[in-house]
Amino acid sequence: MSPQRLPARPGEVIDRRRPLSFTWNGRALSGFAGDTIVSALAASGCRVFSRSMKYHRPRGILTADYWDPNTLVQVGDEPNVRGGHRLLEAHMAASAQNAWPSLRWDAKTLTALGGRALSAGFYYKTFMRPRWLWPTYEKVLARFAPGGVIDPESAPRRHDKRYAHPDVVVAGGGPAGLAAAAAAGQAGAAVMLVEHEHAVGGHLRWDGASGRAAASELAEAARAAGVEILTDATVAGRWEDNWLAIVERAAGGGPERLIKARAKVLVVAAGLIERPYVFAGNDRPGVMLSQGARRLANLWAVRPGSRAVVFSANAAGDAAAADLEAAGVAVEHVDARTGRTVTAAEGRRNALERVVLSDGSRLEADLLVTAAGWTAPTSLLNMAGVRPCYDPTAARFFPAEPGVSEAGAVLSTGGISGDGTLEAHVSHGEATGRLAAARAATLAHRLRVATAWAAPVNGPEPPLVPDERTPLGRHRHPALFCSSTDGMVDFSEDVSSRDLRNAAAEGFDSVELVKRWTTATMGSAQGKLETVNTVAVLAEATGSTISEVGTTTWRPPFAPVTLGALAGRPFEPVRVSSLHDLHVAAGMAPISAGQWIRPEHYGEPQAEVRNVRANVGIIDVSPLGKLDIQGPDATDLLSLLYLNKWRRLAVGSVRYGVMCAEDGVILDDGVTGRLGEDHYLMSTTSSGAGAVEVWIQNWLQTEHPDWRVRVTPVTDAFTSINVAGPRSRTLLERLTDDVDLSPEAFKYMQVRRGTVAGVASCVMWRIGFTGELSYELHVPAGHGPHVWSALLAAGGDLGVAPFGLEAQRVMRLEKGHFIVGQDTDALTKAPTAGLEWLIKLDKEDFCGLPELRWALDGEPGGAPEALQRLVAVQPTDPAYVPPEACQIVAAGPGGTERIIGRITSSRYSPTLERSICLAQVEADHPGAGTQLTVVDVSGRRHRATVMADHAHFDPEGGRLRG
Amino acid sequence: MAPSGSGVAQAARRRARYPARYSALALLRRGKRPWPPILRGGELASSYDAVVVGGGVHGLATAYYLASNWGITNVAVLDKGYLGGGGSGRNTAIVRSNYLTPEGVAFYDRSLRLYERLALDLNLNVMFSRRGHLTLAHSDGALRTMRWRAEVNKQVGVDSEVIGPGEIKRLVPALDVSEAPRYPILGALHHPPGGIIRHDAVVWGYARAAAALGVETHQSTEVLDVATSGGDGPDGKGPGGRVTGVRTSRGDVSTPVVVNCTAGWASLIAAMVGLRLPISTHPLQAAVTEPVKLFLPAVVVSGSLHVYVSQTDRGELVFGAAVDPLATYDTAGSLSFAEDLAGHVLQLMPGLGRMRLLRQWSGLCDMTPDYSPIIGPTPVDGFHCDVGWGTYGFKAAPVAGEQLAACIATGEVPELIAPFTLDRFAAGRLVGEKGAAAVGH
Amino acid sequence: MLLVPCPHCGPRNSADLTLVGETEPRPDPATTTPAEWRAYLYEEHNPAGWCRETWHCRLGCGRFFVTERHRGANRFRHPPLGASAGEPGEAR
Repeated sequence: MSPQRLPARPGEVIDRRRPLSFTWNGRALSGFAGDTIVSALAASGCRVFSRSMKYHRPRGILTADYWDPNTLVQVGDEPNVRGGHRLLEAHMAASAQNAWPSLRWDAKTLTALGGRALSAGFYYKTFMRPRWLWPTYEKVLARFAPGGVIDPESAPRRHDKRYAHPDVVVAGGGPAGLAAAAAAGQAGAAVMLVEHEHAVGGHLRWDGASGRAAASELAEAARAAGVEILTDATVAGRWEDNWLAIVERAAGGGPERLIKARAKVLVVAAGLIERPYVFAGNDRPGVMLSQGARRLANLWAVRPGSRAVVFSANAAGDAAAADLEAAGVAVEHVDARTGRTVTAAEGRRNALERVVLSDGSRLEADLLVTAAGWTAPTSLLNMAGVRPCYDPTAARFFPAEPGVSEAGAVLSTGGISGDGTLEAHVSHGEATGRLAAARAATLAHRLRVATAWAAPVNGPEPPLVPDERTPLGRHRHPALFCSSTDGMVDFSEDVSSRDLRNAAAEGFDSVELVKRWTTATMGSAQGKLETVNTVAVLAEATGSTISEVGTTTWRPPFAPVTLGALAGRPFEPVRVSSLHDLHVAAGMAPISAGQWIRPEHYGEPQAEVRNVRANVGIIDVSPLGKLDIQGPDATDLLSLLYLNKWRRLAVGSVRYGVMCAEDGVILDDGVTGRLGEDHYLMSTTSSGAGAVEVWIQNWLQTEHPDWRVRVTPVTDAFTSINVAGPRSRTLLERLTDDVDLSPEAFKYMQVRRGTVAGVASCVMWRIGFTGELSYELHVPAGHGPHVWSALLAAGGDLGVAPFGLEAQRVMRLEKGHFIVGQDTDALTKAPTAGLEWLIKLDKEDFCGLPELRWALDGEPGGAPEALQRLVAVQPTDPAYVPPEACQIVAAGPGGTERIIGRITSSRYSPTLERSICLAQVEADHPGAGTQLTVVDVSGRRHRATVMADHAHFDPEGGRLRG
Repeated sequence: MAPSGSGVAQAARRRARYPARYSALALLRRGKRPWPPILRGGELASSYDAVVVGGGVHGLATAYYLASNWGITNVAVLDKGYLGGGGSGRNTAIVRSNYLTPEGVAFYDRSLRLYERLALDLNLNVMFSRRGHLTLAHSDGALRTMRWRAEVNKQVGVDSEVIGPGEIKRLVPALDVSEAPRYPILGALHHPPGGIIRHDAVVWGYARAAAALGVETHQSTEVLDVATSGGDGPDGKGPGGRVTGVRTSRGDVSTPVVVNCTAGWASLIAAMVGLRLPISTHPLQAAVTEPVKLFLPAVVVSGSLHVYVSQTDRGELVFGAAVDPLATYDTAGSLSFAEDLAGHVLQLMPGLGRMRLLRQWSGLCDMTPDYSPIIGPTPVDGFHCDVGWGTYGFKAAPVAGEQLAACIATGEVPELIAPFTLDRFAAGRLVGEKGAAAVGH
Repeated sequence: MLLVPCPHCGPRNSADLTLVGETEPRPDPATTTPAEWRAYLYEEHNPAGWCRETWHCRLGCGRFFVTERHRGANRFRHPPLGASAGEPGEAR
């Protein structure tokens, strides 16, 4: 039998028929199902659970719940487990954090010896000289990092997410929250109740037989009203329009789950959190809060001590004294309401031995229970814009606007709102639930009315019910924060009241500054236990009131959420063309290009280039963006989007176009074919497809809503195959019978529609990105694999073979075609890319017209100086391929070097058997024959020459026109 | 362009006279007794030689360098809230100089050099942890941009190199450099001089040092208007006018120089002199986990995944992301930020699923069209700007303060900040940092 | 997450839409000056109060629409939920 376990008690939550064995720092122990890690350890006689962060002081149970700053433990590969909350499991391996080499004898306690100098913020004041020693100091300081151990190699778990659309969410399943949920459910609302602990009932669970009976009655009513009850779950955050994050820590026994809920009304019934009292030795093991003592004794039948002093300022403290007596603990009751206070808790290293009171008396005790007052956890209300307001009579903060915010969509009830009997809380909760349900109905009505396509709403809007609840009272409570001695204010961060006073004297005299200087309230409970005491100490130190000092901002999440639950399942979709399986079968080397997975090559990219130049190759270019543009104003739209003119483009022809943004910077390029008088097929870059569509829609809808034109994205509707090479016509002729492919009938830069390999309605463009005679086929996507296979089958004797992205890149560079976003950047205007020939300034309007006019005309104040130019460059050493992004330099003033440009693209050309590049250089270095210095990544300098033409190969274009 | 000392000539340098210098010995001597206040405040005077609007790291650095480098000490720093309560206290405290443009690199390199000796200059340990900075590349395009940055950096004399997955794994073992992720890590820009710093300590250090030189800092003092005369607009505001004073929530003061060192409110302060800025204000969110023992030795950034992460000496992981796309002054933050962030972090380090997010917050960032600041004089005489710092203001504070102080004192725009003056927008010569700074921490 | 009042789809999560920017008339490209054009390109009102904005219902109906939002309080003039929003107070 565990030494501190009491005989069976009514209301205990442990199952004595189900013992569980576990280990603590390697030692085998046992507890019962229903125990938390901390209750099982406490039952086994454990008094010290951790060492403090800075001074490595021994720490025992403070609150015995989720917020206990002293009982964070490591469980297996999981750090920072809330030992006061996490239920015991069989074979759990728990260990203490922040203790070295052991919990019992911690070497870093030595820092306490130097503690004289280790006041808050001490590290800002030292370790500055000598400067070279700082990295060493830093390593030493880093050893004091608190917390558990994460194993980056531990296996990821699969976390689901859930979306919910409840009418009413109630945060907190105490008496008021249960009553609110039940009332809202009875009124017809869909209600979700979220309880932080493992069971609903709140403090009633440890409040005797009548409390337990009331709790089960309220819970039964909520269940009967159809309320969905989540336990071990927390409303972690609230954002605009009641967008809620709810974390279910053990969803169905699985890993943590995030629920995203759009609630119409949020009811905050988070109850109250007990506040520690600040005095010398208040962090000594054996000093605990009344709720902690009561929970240990009543829920888990653990005797928290044998001889107790109960320092009580309220009914909860008095009840704790009674509970302890009932558990066989000798109790000395110190009533704070008489003015007596505790000034010190004294003892040997790890144990409490006596309590010193303000009247000088010393009481022998191994347990000191304090009930000094409450903190309202107003986080969720703060997130809804409700400010906390201090009431000196009740000695705690309340929501400034009790119950109403954001048009009544956030309400509060229970202890957070006021004091009263159980009946008063239940009745306030019920009134809140009814109000919440009524408001949710009004809001649901408005939501549907605001949605144009929703079914018509029957009947008038339900009236917005006014808040006519009888407010809860506020009971007088002594203002107890800090005794006449100094003690810990923040247990997690080892910040004392003296640290806070000193900080105020040094000028850190507002709550936000003192928090940052001392790190008070920044630990595991995020101020739930610490903020109000910090504020009170600061108020005293600065001679102001608690109201004047105010609180720090409560930030989400209310309770921490695992990264796994926040991440959920990874959703990174991949796009592949209809030919993907054929590429895989052909042994493609895949490359990730934006969302797309494409064949980079099928083995030997250089051979693929040679085959296209000598025979014929086919490449899958399906990711090219494609837009179908139809309507009488389609031509005007193209004229607006592109730099060049479109009015005279004949039906059956295609044209290259470049789009610029309004600042003249190149946005996208591609060819567009005129399929009919009012019908075009536009192609865009693969990566720009989505943005171009939005760009076009923006112009159409905001600037030219009167234009009659329809733009439809058809990227996925076609499989696009480019057939390139001197023998491409021969190959295609074998598969086409309704299009005359002869050079006279189907010229370069023309478009035809016809049948390929039996597939009708294919669009065929005669264009040449590779510089060869080539045809781009846009085949209805479902027939893509058939056409691809047919091309390969029909051209065996012609040497047809697929080629990948890499071969295409080599060939386009041989031809000097730039790639938007690689050879151009966020400042590259059209003239930089040598596109003067394309810019038609005599058009009435096009995107970027004014900037390009000034750039070309050199109007004063118009053209920016030092415009870069895109040029073709060939290294003097034909075997040297400068890595892309290598810098080009020139002599600067005083023997220095100046950057004048960079290599934007580079490849080894198998056709020319030499290295070739595109580069951006300053505008005064572009002349053909200019010698450049390229700096390799190794630092070596290489000579290179500017070429006359962007095209390294066949600049006259004889091959593609053939 | 080599980094050139301080960049400008200086008047006689003044040393701060502290009421009590910080040192290990002084700490032991003083024991638990409090130290003297770090600030000089009290009542507002009726006039100052310069008024700095914004008590963040930029405003305080400007005031400090005005006093220490130029002997201009009759300066008031005004803040409507508390010291360092804006971006200075909300950023993720990363410093680096591996920018894309030569002018950007030279500018941030000077800042990093000032940071490296700031603890000694200010007699307050800002806890600069020079731990190296890795910007991961998950695509060929990103790798090309990393190489671009590395090559420009090296040319300007800044230590940056593109490294491969093996070297990345050696530097940060927790990263998954396998082919398994949807966007595998192909390489990284490694920048050894980068690191993290205690951001609040930088604020306090500048504030204390400025105070020791005679500068006044007034918190809870909101600037309601800036008085000007002679301008083109109504009330003598607008281009062509000159500054005569400021109206504050605690009374009027006269001054010939007003320095706008705000973030989040830069447009509103500029509107007080009749200027419109090319700025859009967006929240930038950040988050911190519970502490765990140290396992992440370098700052890790992924532009493609919109995330940056470092582990503080306290063991917490500090995360940041790209600015929220929605322009707003509301700092409520969002859940989707935390979800996306966690998803991206777990792609980089799949073993961290059991770490818990403890707190998230946001600050306001003033975004300019070219992801570069606006610093220096404006068309209103005496009204200087040090704004538009986007997501990179903290790392620039020392150099911005130093150079702006020189600009105010001499009336000349120093070379280091010349690329970043307001007139570049009207002239159409934007800075080319956009590519590098999109998520550039 | 903010609900954005799309005139067609009704209130939708802001993640489904894109804020295009402040709604500003485009100067006549034929007569504009560099100063006017670049003010149009780059300058922003960026108020902490009401602002006329263009939104794009990207994942919904695809429409571009103009609405008014208070950039301090992040509320729309015609809020999807709630009674009369009135003038929001200071930014939270």
